[in-house]
Amino acid sequence: MNSSRTAWALLAPTLIILAFVGLLPFFYVLYVSFFDWNIFSKTGVMSWAGAENFRRLVFDADFLAALKRGIGFTCIAVSIEMVLGLTLAQLLMIRFKGRSIFRALHALPLTVAPIAVGATWRLMTIPGMGPVSYFLQQLGIDYNIGRSASQAFFTTVLMDIWHWTPFVTLTFLAGLSALPRAPFESAMVDGANRWQIFRHISLPMLRPVILTALFLRIMDALRIVDEVWMLTGGGPGTSTRYVGIHLWRIVFPKTDYGYGSAMSVLLLYFTIVLCWLLITAITQSRKGAGT
Amino acid sequence: MKKSRITLFLVAFVSLAFVLTSSVVFAAGEEWWTRAAKPYKGVTIKGISESTPPSKFMQRVLAKKFQEKTGIKVEFEVTSWDMMYDKEIKDMEAGTGIYDFVYIEQDIIYGYLAKNFLVDLTVFMEKHPELVFADLDMDDFTSFINYFKAADTGHLYGFPFEAFLKVYLYRKDLFEDKACTDAFKAKHGRNLTPAKTFEEYSQLAEFFAKWGKDNKMNLWGTTVQAGSHPAAFYEMAETIWPSWGIYNWGINMDNWKATTANGGTLNSDKAKEALKFWVGMLKYAPPEATSSTWDEVAASFAGGRAAQGWVYGENAAWIATDSTRSKVVGNVGVALPPLAPGVLEDAKAGRGYIGYYDGGALGIPHSSKNKEAAFLFLQWVTRKDFQGEFAKAAARIVRTSTFDDPLVKEMDAKVDHYYSLFEKEGYLFAGAPPFPFHPTIREVILPYMLKAISGEITPEAALDGAANDVDAELVRLGYGK
Repeated sequence: MNSSRTAWALLAPTLIILAFVGLLPFFYVLYVSFFDWNIFSKTGVMSWAGAENFRRLVFDADFLAALKRGIGFTCIAVSIEMVLGLTLAQLLMIRFKGRSIFRALHALPLTVAPIAVGATWRLMTIPGMGPVSYFLQQLGIDYNIGRSASQAFFTTVLMDIWHWTPFVTLTFLAGLSALPRAPFESAMVDGANRWQIFRHISLPMLRPVILTALFLRIMDALRIVDEVWMLTGGGPGTSTRYVGIHLWRIVFPKTDYGYGSAMSVLLLYFTIVLCWLLITAITQSRKGAGT
Repeated sequence: MKKSRITLFLVAFVSLAFVLTSSVVFAAGEEWWTRAAKPYKGVTIKGISESTPPSKFMQRVLAKKFQEKTGIKVEFEVTSWDMMYDKEIKDMEAGTGIYDFVYIEQDIIYGYLAKNFLVDLTVFMEKHPELVFADLDMDDFTSFINYFKAADTGHLYGFPFEAFLKVYLYRKDLFEDKACTDAFKAKHGRNLTPAKTFEEYSQLAEFFAKWGKDNKMNLWGTTVQAGSHPAAFYEMAETIWPSWGIYNWGINMDNWKATTANGGTLNSDKAKEALKFWVGMLKYAPPEATSSTWDEVAASFAGGRAAQGWVYGENAAWIATDSTRSKVVGNVGVALPPLAPGVLEDAKAGRGYIGYYDGGALGIPHSSKNKEAAFLFLQWVTRKDFQGEFAKAAARIVRTSTFDDPLVKEMDAKVDHYYSLFEKEGYLFAGAPPFPFHPTIREVILPYMLKAISGEITPEAALDGAANDVDAELVRLGYGK
């Protein structure tokens, strides 16, 4: 009993902070989502809208397009990050000269603030002036993220991969380092090759780590704003206006707080459902493999 | 001989008396600032503004001088346009009181007044006469100050510190180059002169883009402010459309409708033609045009990458004179923008305007905790005796007396008489329409414009969609039915 009280007492500060910075804002956003509230409307006051904001969302072609773009971006960027991260983690498990230096260097992008990442990439790729566009032009490649929607899209994907693959690598590296040695040694004694060891031992044992990294990256990529905002501003046209940027423009520059809040709630719901579906699919496949 | 000595003595005496009197008055004026600020010595005031040449000058030069003179510390945050609005609107809406003075761009003042964000400076001055500088001279401000007065009471809500025109800049060296002029005349049968019409503008844009390509120069025919940013909307709505005769963003202010079916002009044939023209200019613009806001447009022009363009006047001075940042020093021509038939007549008769008279003021939010100290700073940056230096550095003028300042006169010749044009033709330009819903409607139109720029949809479809959405949004905001 006493130890339980002590545990709650120790947890209390964290729970209080969590309530203030996590739960309270969430419930406030949920509350605002049922109102029509734009500070530049004629009255400027909140008026009850019921579920109208959510109804509008379902028919909002711009929102749905932004969501679709965001999902596309997330699928491509996160898939590549996972594969690349896992490969790099495997390679970094091998002992070689300069391994520590390489580990430290490859984690450097993680230390850069997203807004600075966007600014740096913008400086490098600014059409006509950035070194990347300049050198590609010298090679005869017309690279202009201000005009080509596909180039802009894939540049944002590339930037995200550059920025976040080290996070995935480090997560997998921690996971791999923590795995028990015995199953690997047994497999080697039994004559299993590297691929078989990876496929049948490393991967299944890493499943919790993979899931954690995957969910974190999906949640992060779906709500990406600052890097892309800095790099392309959501353009050209609306080609990189992912759902996070769309939401930001609705809430802040447009000051449509009610509608923007409804959008946030729906996006949160969508993210939870997506993660739940993923975890179910992975669990089901695991069960299927076990039977 | 005796007479000349007497004359000499009299001249010397009068000069000495004048110098002494001026020094005493000046010293008394200087002393006033220290005296008036005494109760607030040690106070820190915090303000925010956009990162523009005028704001940087205030931050770098004027705020420091103010601090030295008054002992009031100024924390002047100069940030991007988006961030500035994001931060100050949130601060004023929530009433947190982070900022003691805020930047009020001419186009946002109506929204701020509707929300009652700002302190009524007329009332403030009546209540605190001891804080009003004797030489404030309100009558000396240009008519631009009227944008910061409430329409019903005439009360002032901001001290303007910057005002400038969005003008047409062109490369004089290219327009005077013999090879260029000959080639142009051979092709178009007329002299190579700055554009007065849109047809001429298109010809020049095409000609210089080709000239740059043929001669392997980093030169294009025109600037276009077409980045994925509100800047694209502003170039269209406040510069291009007015010069085509589409005013007030195409919104009918009698019934708050934008569609032609309801008396608006946003999707009128003329508005569509103007958008088509502007989007069409992209093929003659430097590659960075679709990533450009006002800053990049100025940088492109300063880098010698465009033969002509619409550039905010606040950049004119440094582009024309600062060789550390500009490759076109001494070669900048300034003129009125090209116009559609009848627009100049409209502007002269007060029925319309030919372009954008931009600028901003500093105001004090109700939530400020140091209103008195902030008020002193507002007067400080608009002091008459600082205006010449300020205008020289940032090509902005808010006082009529500044036009006669020797520093401005000297600069005028270097900037192809931009200041003279500003003084004489400024009345043809106008600020943004008095829309309290300015940011919201901008955000409705902007995505359509960006889609037209990228070619996702045609300019015609963009404006049809935008006009319909504006009508619906205005109803939602409580304007019209």
